[in-house]
Amino acid sequence: MSRFLLIPCVWLLLCLRLHAEDPLSFVRDIQPILTKSGCNAGACHAKAITGQRGFRLSVLGFEPEEDYEAIVKQCKGRRVFPPAPEESLIVTKATAILPHTGGKKLEPDSEMYQTLVRWIAEGTPYTQPDEPTLVQIVTEPSRISMKPNSDLQLKVTARYSDGSLRDVTKLALFEANDSAMASASENGLVKSLDLPGNVAVMIRYGGQVSVCSITIPLGAPTDQMPPEKNFIDQHVFANLKQIGIPPSTICDDSTFLRRVSLDIAGRLPTIDETKAFLADKSSEKRDRAVEQILHSPDYADYFANKWTALLKNQRADAADITANFAFHAWMRDNLLANTPYDQLVREILASTGTIVSNPPVAWFKRVKESTTQVEDVAQLFLGVRMQCAQCHHHPFERWTQAEYYHLAAFFSQIGRKATTVAGEDLIYHKRGIAQTEHRKTRVMLKPAGLGEPPLDIAPDDDPRLALADWMSKKDNPFFAKALVNRYWKHFFKRGLIEPEDDLRDTNPPTNPELLDALAKHFIDSDYDLKSIVRVIAQSHTYQFSAVPNEHNAIDRQAFSHFYPKRLTAEELLDSIDMTTASKTDFADLPPGTRAISLPDNSYTKASPFLKVFGRPDNASVCECERVQSASLAQSLHLMNAADVKAKLTANNGRAERLSKAEAPTVEGIREVYLAAFSREPTEEERRIAEEFIGRPRIDAQDKPIEAALAKRMAFEDFLWAIVNTKEFLFNH
Amino acid sequence: MQIGLTGMATLSWPGLLKLRAENASSPKSERKSIIMVWLPGGLSHVDTYDPKPDASSEYRGPFKTIKTKVSGTIFTELLPMNAKIADKFTLVRSMNQTAGGHPAGTMQMFSGDPDTRDKPKPRFPDWMSVAHYLRSKEGGRDNPLPNYIGVPAASPEYSSAAYLGDAYAPFAVSDDPNRPNFQVPNIGLTDTSEARRLSDRLALRRSLDTLERAFDLEGELGALDEFEAQAATLLTNPKTRDAFDLSKEDAATRDRYGRNRWGQQLLLARRLVEAGVEIVTSNLNGPLCGRVQNWDDHAVNHHQFEALRFRMPTYDRCVSALIEDIYSRGLDKKVLVIVTGEFGRTPKISFDRSTGPGDASGPTGTLQPGRDHWPRAFTSLWAGGGIQTGGVIGASDKRGEDVVERPCNANDFLATIYHHLGIDYTKTTINDLNGRPVHIVANGRAIPELVS
Repeated sequence: MSRFLLIPCVWLLLCLRLHAEDPLSFVRDIQPILTKSGCNAGACHAKAITGQRGFRLSVLGFEPEEDYEAIVKQCKGRRVFPPAPEESLIVTKATAILPHTGGKKLEPDSEMYQTLVRWIAEGTPYTQPDEPTLVQIVTEPSRISMKPNSDLQLKVTARYSDGSLRDVTKLALFEANDSAMASASENGLVKSLDLPGNVAVMIRYGGQVSVCSITIPLGAPTDQMPPEKNFIDQHVFANLKQIGIPPSTICDDSTFLRRVSLDIAGRLPTIDETKAFLADKSSEKRDRAVEQILHSPDYADYFANKWTALLKNQRADAADITANFAFHAWMRDNLLANTPYDQLVREILASTGTIVSNPPVAWFKRVKESTTQVEDVAQLFLGVRMQCAQCHHHPFERWTQAEYYHLAAFFSQIGRKATTVAGEDLIYHKRGIAQTEHRKTRVMLKPAGLGEPPLDIAPDDDPRLALADWMSKKDNPFFAKALVNRYWKHFFKRGLIEPEDDLRDTNPPTNPELLDALAKHFIDSDYDLKSIVRVIAQSHTYQFSAVPNEHNAIDRQAFSHFYPKRLTAEELLDSIDMTTASKTDFADLPPGTRAISLPDNSYTKASPFLKVFGRPDNASVCECERVQSASLAQSLHLMNAADVKAKLTANNGRAERLSKAEAPTVEGIREVYLAAFSREPTEEERRIAEEFIGRPRIDAQDKPIEAALAKRMAFEDFLWAIVNTKEFLFNH
Repeated sequence: MQIGLTGMATLSWPGLLKLRAENASSPKSERKSIIMVWLPGGLSHVDTYDPKPDASSEYRGPFKTIKTKVSGTIFTELLPMNAKIADKFTLVRSMNQTAGGHPAGTMQMFSGDPDTRDKPKPRFPDWMSVAHYLRSKEGGRDNPLPNYIGVPAASPEYSSAAYLGDAYAPFAVSDDPNRPNFQVPNIGLTDTSEARRLSDRLALRRSLDTLERAFDLEGELGALDEFEAQAATLLTNPKTRDAFDLSKEDAATRDRYGRNRWGQQLLLARRLVEAGVEIVTSNLNGPLCGRVQNWDDHAVNHHQFEALRFRMPTYDRCVSALIEDIYSRGLDKKVLVIVTGEFGRTPKISFDRSTGPGDASGPTGTLQPGRDHWPRAFTSLWAGGGIQTGGVIGASDKRGEDVVERPCNANDFLATIYHHLGIDYTKTTINDLNGRPVHIVANGRAIPELVS
């Protein structure tokens, strides 16, 4: 074994030595030093527009010609001084011999220092004649299993166009995609931490990227796996076995019903639904429940809420109400009818006409600039974040600026004509050659899908249709994956790729086989959205208990137990309404409209509850605009806010009704538990609640409160306690 | 990245996620608290701290100049109390920014957003919520009071935590602290039966809330516990109520600040930083400003000079009281006080007709003098924070129209603030919703004279 390794090592050493004597070039030898030392980081000399103190480099060195110009020619040539290379400004600053705001970036006499000085002495050549170009970097190992809290030295080799190789470990940049799991030092030493699972280290050098995928096993026994229900279980369980994480048990019926109702319909099960489900003895009942919820209009309401937020259904002006209601209704109806996803996307991004005649045109009312159109479409439907590439090569990606403008060219022929409705344009295809000017080179570029050759589209054809065609091709590497990853996250709290809309080579999925299988299922079903929901919700993986076993509490990404999710703002408001039997009124909507069915963001502004619990403002294409984190304001709101208080004390609300009921108190307690948690109270809970409600009460003057009022207050307090528990606030 | 266990508990979950992606260095300089007194609409610099007695009558207002405690520095007669303590603060007379509208101007001052177009909503988080966020990330704070309080919040319509999320927005005190029955909602329930009921409810919940034992690895439930405990403390602990209880101040102190809304706001601000709150803003607006309730003295709104005569005595009293108080209580090293608005007012006087009668505005149609928006030169005031005081930094030209010496822009303003907060503004970035790291200050440098 060691002999095999030895041979390439010796050969590499020879190569290195050879290179060390070669004349130096800016592109091959100096640019990597600037990148490694952080000179061209966004915070330093690559700061947009100004650079730093008049010295400006391109971000991460993607524009060597500009950088060469800045170093060798600008500043009256003071930055490099071949007669006395050590006195060049670039050397004295980088070593902090002269005051340097960025501090000492190069150690004098280090290898990088020597190289820089020799390059200046050699007359600062840009490239050498016939210089080979960098083709690829290879990281070894590229896939490995590491024990927790252990070390691994990576080796990075650059391969050039003439076939030569060079060890660039010292000059490469390393970054782990989950710093809670592993760290990577600047010399490529990876340290795994305590958490088991899959983590990737991204390696960058000279505009090339590569990845080392690391598995950190827990190594616990996994001989007791539940049966596999479908392909999801097959892939999740395989990963769990590989990492050695035993899964939790399958959750009980109450937990399942509450979970699946919240996740598919965005609401708690009704008491009747719960009773019927618990009484059903059939072994198929969970599958049937999924089917029923999926069939209900609540499914469409819930997912329309999700999609219209991402599609920016935003009320900027009171007059937007018609367009917003139309767009929301269109989305909801299509989800209810289960229009195939590729069709849905096509109807949005290639829509023409007016909003009244064709509601998806509303998207073009919100998203006007072609740059935003391309960025939103890429992020939302392809899971690719192109924003960086508008102005510079994407730092962690293969996307160049050219690819950005190729993609933007699909949106270059959108015609707009004002209609009688202020702010609303008629959208049409403007006859002509689709092309967009590259911001830097000023060259006109034709439409091209990512990684695809440019298309010649006839002037009469709407290029957006060609984009939709490319997206929905079965071999499109992004479209299906982006959707299934987004939906996976919806149910499991964590995407197989995180963030859910950042698919790239350097950010690999934690379970690639599963992502591929989900995408294949989605494509094979002809982009059937309900089918992807069904297969997820019916899997045993989805039905794992949130309660960890003795081994898997530490797992955060292998789905060995359910990761509890705080209810969203809308879910929580609706759940409180259901539990307290009260209603929230919303402007311009019929009484009884639930928060989950609200068509646009105007209601967030109007409702302190929705705002404080993080309902988004529909301003971003990223789901992260919805803030799901806890805050002091939320806790204060639940404890003391007027709107919550009003629900607890509502006339004809549950507290009042139960306090007046003839049935014994314990029946009221059971009803509340069924409404809030879809389960019966335990013996202990029943005892505590009964004792609390039966307790005599005194007022501020220590006088006894009359029994009927005391009982009503007691039920209000009981409801307060219930909606303030974590069991209520979380989907678990 | 060092977060103690207590830190975990106060962190929100996305906060943790963002932190991993960040490049924030741990600040070493001493942390300070900041009180920013905000003058929405902008203070007329030439009528107050930067008088131009030699300008022609088209520019010069009616106010005489007076000497101050610092020889060579003059103010107008509108600021007698400020003049007496001019050795206790430093003025930057060379502030300038590039946005002429209230929204864009305020956003530029608060977040450094260079976009000069007025937008309905800020794109970037303001420095207050950034500081609040970064402070929360450090963790280890065991003070039940919110760490960012607005008494009331500065320009709430143009300030925002943007992509940090509303968890980092201010705890806003909107009621008038000068009212005898001044109340802060959600702080210290005063009604004893209410308080008793809340305690009963909390006890009942404790005994019924059994779920968290099962899953609390990610610290998310822990964070929730922490906020719930903090909320319960705020609602029930008399000490948190004390921090807001101005009746605990002696009458002479309350008088010194002025028995009016602004005076008591600033007294409350001082009381809060003394109780350990680190970021406090106070918006000086409302009827004390005059008819339109802010400093926007266009001739259509106010008679510029009547407006200043109307409001400056209140201003002069409360701001000088705050500064004096900070020093006399030995808070001057720990607490930085900043007074500014989003811009100054146009040095050249304009005349227009009043659009309505009221305080500092003549009957509708009355021709009256005004000054418009002026971002090219204005003055900000800095006190405490251990800075060298009694100085004047920079200068505007003879009419107060343009900066002629040591220009300081909104980024420099923000950099100076972050420096005092011990936040490394040269390196700290926060990821926006697209995951793109955004610098908290684009290109600024802390004003050297203000960071000593």
